[in-house]
Amino acid sequence: MINGLLESSPGILNFGIFFLLAFVLLMVVLGFVTYAILAERKVMGFMQMRMGPNQVGGRWGLLQTIADVLKLLLKEDTIPKLADRPLFIIAPVIAFAPAFMVLATIPFTDKFQFADIGVGLLYYIAISGISTVGIVAGGWASNNKYALLGGMRAAAQMISYEIPLVMSVIGVILLAGSLNLNDIVAAQEDVWFIVLQPIGFIVFLIASIAELNRVPFDLPEAESELVAGFHVEYSGFRWAFFMLAEYVYLFAMASLTTVLFLGGWHPLPFLAFIPGAVWFALKFSLIIFVLIWIRSTFPRIRADQLMEFGWKVLLPVALANIFLTALLKELLKLF
Amino acid sequence: MSLSGELLAFVSLSLVAIIGGMLLINLSKVVHMVIALVFTFISIAGIYVILSAEFVAVVQILIYSGAITIIMLFGIMLTRHNDSGEPKASAARRIFTFLGIAGFAAAVYFGIYNLDIPVQPSALHESNTEQIGLALYSKYVIPFEVTSVLLLVGLVGAIILAKKDEQEGDRS
Repeated sequence: MINGLLESSPGILNFGIFFLLAFVLLMVVLGFVTYAILAERKVMGFMQMRMGPNQVGGRWGLLQTIADVLKLLLKEDTIPKLADRPLFIIAPVIAFAPAFMVLATIPFTDKFQFADIGVGLLYYIAISGISTVGIVAGGWASNNKYALLGGMRAAAQMISYEIPLVMSVIGVILLAGSLNLNDIVAAQEDVWFIVLQPIGFIVFLIASIAELNRVPFDLPEAESELVAGFHVEYSGFRWAFFMLAEYVYLFAMASLTTVLFLGGWHPLPFLAFIPGAVWFALKFSLIIFVLIWIRSTFPRIRADQLMEFGWKVLLPVALANIFLTALLKELLKLF
Repeated sequence: MSLSGELLAFVSLSLVAIIGGMLLINLSKVVHMVIALVFTFISIAGIYVILSAEFVAVVQILIYSGAITIIMLFGIMLTRHNDSGEPKASAARRIFTFLGIAGFAAAVYFGIYNLDIPVQPSALHESNTEQIGLALYSKYVIPFEVTSVLLLVGLVGAIILAKKDEQEGDRS
């Protein structure tokens, strides 16, 4: 349906349809973010032998996040007197907009996708890099030493880990022979790439956690040393925008991992009667759970260890993986 | 020329690009300039998309808006980030500059107005990532390799510069 719309002539009606569809996706993502935060708090609670939220909205705290968001929206919106005002205001927008833009290319099922562009994978990586500009600008505009430190760390970390992230997916691209996410999913009809690319998957998972700024790589907002990192001075809905960007990236990154390594909407053998959307949701939830699990079980690493790990371990491993994949592909072609 | 979606997209993207470029020149704070530059880079990438050069557009965002901007921000913040622009120039100089700009605009206008580039039908817009790859690794292999050698030289040079800094200690 979307492809038909994309090829039709432009008009007010088409614009309306696209706007409505994007709005629906935004609502779905907001719903996901609401319950992802709750799930994170609950799972972390159980792993640390606590209860987690259990007061608002029944035994499972189902309305806890909604109450939190309402509180955030009602809060006073403060802008520090010595802050760089225009930059301070625009920074959360620059950080959030790319987070939502990257969702456009991700194929959720064979029918449910917004844009089927040839360079989908590169598009994701390129657009997600813009968020860093927002984070650095926010940290700088706050005129606060902790915020500036957090912003600098975010920039250094995201630059260093973007390289292993890109290198680790080159193995997948070599095997699929395309940058188009639909073609990559189609190439996993028989075998998922997690089986063919175990090293690539591990490097990708680690680098994606670093890109998401989550524990053990949450140095940009390390609570115990930087108060809250780049968003120290933010409050109310501006702060909510930074948080929203973070969780929308969680959504996008988990979807991308599912598409690249877990075969997208393809079912396991003999279970093809379950629809593709359910398979996608299951794999996606598994990735989210693993990310929460990692967050609650790993300690934070030091800034110098972070850089050393990225450049001296992950990058060579990712390069070796490319070499190995190319070699294997050529060898398999010979026979 | 009729009003189509493509024209609308082109006009808005080029407006953003030009306004970004003007802000880059006119703003007084260095960090604001870099943010304006990001907008210019992104809208130029959008124009590449309109020309159906997807790969170039994405690489433009990845390299320019992503990596280079961050490195520029990094450099600015680690040095004198409170630096502001110089005071305004005198009236005579302004008039002279305006005349120069007007002359340049007229020259470009008359140069472009009757320019007729013969359009050849080409298949460059179909799967252009693949075509770029094929051209780069078959037809232009030697320039490509020379570029990589050049980058390697740059890398080694950067390492040598960083090493020297370390020996001198924190005298800076």
